[in-house]
Amino acid sequence: MGPDAVATSEPGGARDVVLRVVRVSKTFPGTVALKDVSLELQRGEVHALVGTNGSGKSTLIKVLAGVCAADPGGEIEIGRRRFSASRFGPADAREGGLHFVHQAPAIFPMLSVAENLAIGRGFEMRPGGRIAWAEQRERAKRVIARFHIRAEPDIPVGFLRPADRTLVAIARALQDQEGEHEGVLVLDEPTASLPGPEVERLLEALRRYAAAGQTIVYVTHRLEEVLRVSDRVTALRDGRVVDTVATRSIDELGLVSLIVGRAVDAPAPVSRSGAPSVGAALLVARNVAGGPVASASFEVARGEILGIAGLLGCGASEVLRMLFGDAPISSGELTLDAKPYRPQSARAAMDAGLAYVPADRAADAAFHGMSVRANLSAAGVRRYFRGMRLRHAVEKGEAGAAIRRFLIRAASDEQVLSTLSGGNQQKVVLARWLRDTPKLILLDEPTQGVDVHARAEIHDALRKAAAEGTASVVVTSDFRELAHLCDRVLVMVQGRIVGEVRPPALDAHRLTELAHFTPETAP
Amino acid sequence: MTQTTTESLERGSAADAATAKEATRRSRAMRGPFLQRYALVLLFAAVGLFFAVRLPDSFATVLNFRNIVGNQSVLAIVSIAAILPLIAGQFDLSIGSVLGLTTIATASALSRFSAPIWVAALVGIGLGAAVGAFNGFVIAKLGVNALITTLGVATVITGLISLYTNGLSILTGIPESLTNLGSGTWLGLPRTLYALAAVAVFAWYLLEHTPFGRYLHAVGSNPNAARLVGLDVDRIVIRSFVVSGALIGFGGVLEVARQGGGNPQTGNFFLMPALSAAFLGATSIHPGRFNVPGTIVSVFFLATTVSGLALSGVDNWVESVFNGAALAIAVGLSTYLGRRHAG
Repeated sequence: MGPDAVATSEPGGARDVVLRVVRVSKTFPGTVALKDVSLELQRGEVHALVGTNGSGKSTLIKVLAGVCAADPGGEIEIGRRRFSASRFGPADAREGGLHFVHQAPAIFPMLSVAENLAIGRGFEMRPGGRIAWAEQRERAKRVIARFHIRAEPDIPVGFLRPADRTLVAIARALQDQEGEHEGVLVLDEPTASLPGPEVERLLEALRRYAAAGQTIVYVTHRLEEVLRVSDRVTALRDGRVVDTVATRSIDELGLVSLIVGRAVDAPAPVSRSGAPSVGAALLVARNVAGGPVASASFEVARGEILGIAGLLGCGASEVLRMLFGDAPISSGELTLDAKPYRPQSARAAMDAGLAYVPADRAADAAFHGMSVRANLSAAGVRRYFRGMRLRHAVEKGEAGAAIRRFLIRAASDEQVLSTLSGGNQQKVVLARWLRDTPKLILLDEPTQGVDVHARAEIHDALRKAAAEGTASVVVTSDFRELAHLCDRVLVMVQGRIVGEVRPPALDAHRLTELAHFTPETAP
Repeated sequence: MTQTTTESLERGSAADAATAKEATRRSRAMRGPFLQRYALVLLFAAVGLFFAVRLPDSFATVLNFRNIVGNQSVLAIVSIAAILPLIAGQFDLSIGSVLGLTTIATASALSRFSAPIWVAALVGIGLGAAVGAFNGFVIAKLGVNALITTLGVATVITGLISLYTNGLSILTGIPESLTNLGSGTWLGLPRTLYALAAVAVFAWYLLEHTPFGRYLHAVGSNPNAARLVGLDVDRIVIRSFVVSGALIGFGGVLEVARQGGGNPQTGNFFLMPALSAAFLGATSIHPGRFNVPGTIVSVFFLATTVSGLALSGVDNWVESVFNGAALAIAVGLSTYLGRRHAG
């Protein structure tokens, strides 16, 4: 009796299991997202979860958060309590001490650290509904010390360094655990938008929490972080657990093999000696940098469909915005048609013959309450203004032609855009640009949230445009789509282009491998 | 094999037809059924008829008709001016005080500086445009909330008017040729109605038949997307305020013509009715969208109702309550329709 009790209560003793996932499956209509997934979390470990997009990581996290019910049959065990995975709800997750902090943590930048810590939890109150500020500050001080945050209680969180902002969110999640480090902290891509030194600081803090007994699940695409911060790592592929291994027994190459599911070679360095195909190049970028883009050099040929593969936060989307004059370029050279090109605005880029389809259609591309016709003409209304008035009949005719050519399913050109399906809205945005045969169209996630049928039609439209001489640069996190659609794909990692893949080597696996490797920081 | 292909093709086109049919239905619902588009016009007719039958000797007279039309022309011009920034997604709470300012400036130019009418008119219109430019600059370039900016500007202008006039009306030295314009009739209709018609046609042309009108709608609908199709969002917002200010300035000149002078209190009576009319206008003719004909119908609907109530001997407070309630209901209804419109 005695020795047993000592063994279990002693921290750092025999590692006890905090959470166990047993044979959990999740089927969506048409796809199996999780298949018989089993997982054990030990007290005080940092457990990394890796896998490609669509491997089931996100679904597993959602099941653990209780926001997505698993298929009947699986179990989730927290401490001594057992739950059926199909009936595990958000309240169970909360009671079980599971805490989730996402990539963009829900902090309030204008409120102080003390206020951020109190929000959602409740303020220290005095009788009569008054906030007890002195107690509030004291409590905040204790939490700040406990979580090693570089901050004072009264500083607005917006003034903190990015890593400390994330730590505030973590502290808010964990502050009320009864024991110092009870429960499980689940971090979902916490470093995707953090700059280098800040990542360092966050990882350091996580190691410290783990050493004190905090259990952490760390979801990331960045394998070098997995190697640095985690004790064990579980790889998922196609909804199944490939393996769970001790981190010290594996290296980056081994991890990529687990993720991709076959033996891999280290990526060959990009061959820069290959003579640029003179005359054919439409756009040439040399060491272009700005924001998260450290250095990007590449060429786009006339009529080519070029892909850029990369993981969340790699900088590929910013490359598109820089080319379209919508993000500042801090250094480097760009030429378009062999002439220097440095757009200062979207207008300038459009005048040079570029077009841009942003990733977030609702926020950046759609005029929701306006007609399909007005949406199609949005980038060039001026051409219909002849003889001091808008030629509505001409506009209507051209809109009808675009609707037919791009297979947009709309009752008429007068239909309000927001009443169309997502795929058809996307075709309208695409048609807005493609009907004028731009020199170069930049596409960020062009088929996100679009059904299979519309996706094929969008691909066809891009290929037809390419045949007419329009070059495309496509950025998407769906590597299968890149492999399927593009003539050539560049791989971008942490702001640098680290490789190029052409057929016949061009497939989703190869892109995944390359995208997961850490670049050697070349001068 | 061939069989399967044909089958799937047929199924595909059947599905397409169904989607198209569904889309037609939704599209019709979105543009609004006839009744919704013309509900306000019908209500207007009903109210007019009701008072005409009840008060044949006071309401249904040429005099009362001329009175309403004459009095409301300036309000209608201010209401039309108000919808330009509203379409671009910005509120302007300074419309009333800008009208007051341009009225005083025009009257003062005529009375104290003996300026020719065209110079005085340019002063009024130019001053309106200048205040609009200031509002637009602060809102678009400095990113200050439009409500706060225009409320602040309105308050400052009210103070300046008070400082300049000592609260006294400017009544002398207004040329008769101008006051004739304000009180006279052409072809049996008040001359101010012709001025309103000119402004309405201009605004309608600007909004429906020039790229600028389309740009205003685009910026109001989604400023990010507007930027990414190459529009200079800041400049478009500023221009909406400038044009709006110039139109209000024109309204100010007309107000001098009607009143035969400049009353420092003028501006106080215009803000709420003008906004009521603008929002109520967005519920008719083109539901869910601020539009010129709807705005004009709203102005005269509100004025006719108020006139009918007044002539029925209802107490003064009713007018205030009616205008306030109309604004609240109009804002609620146009927001609701706008949301339905935008899905």
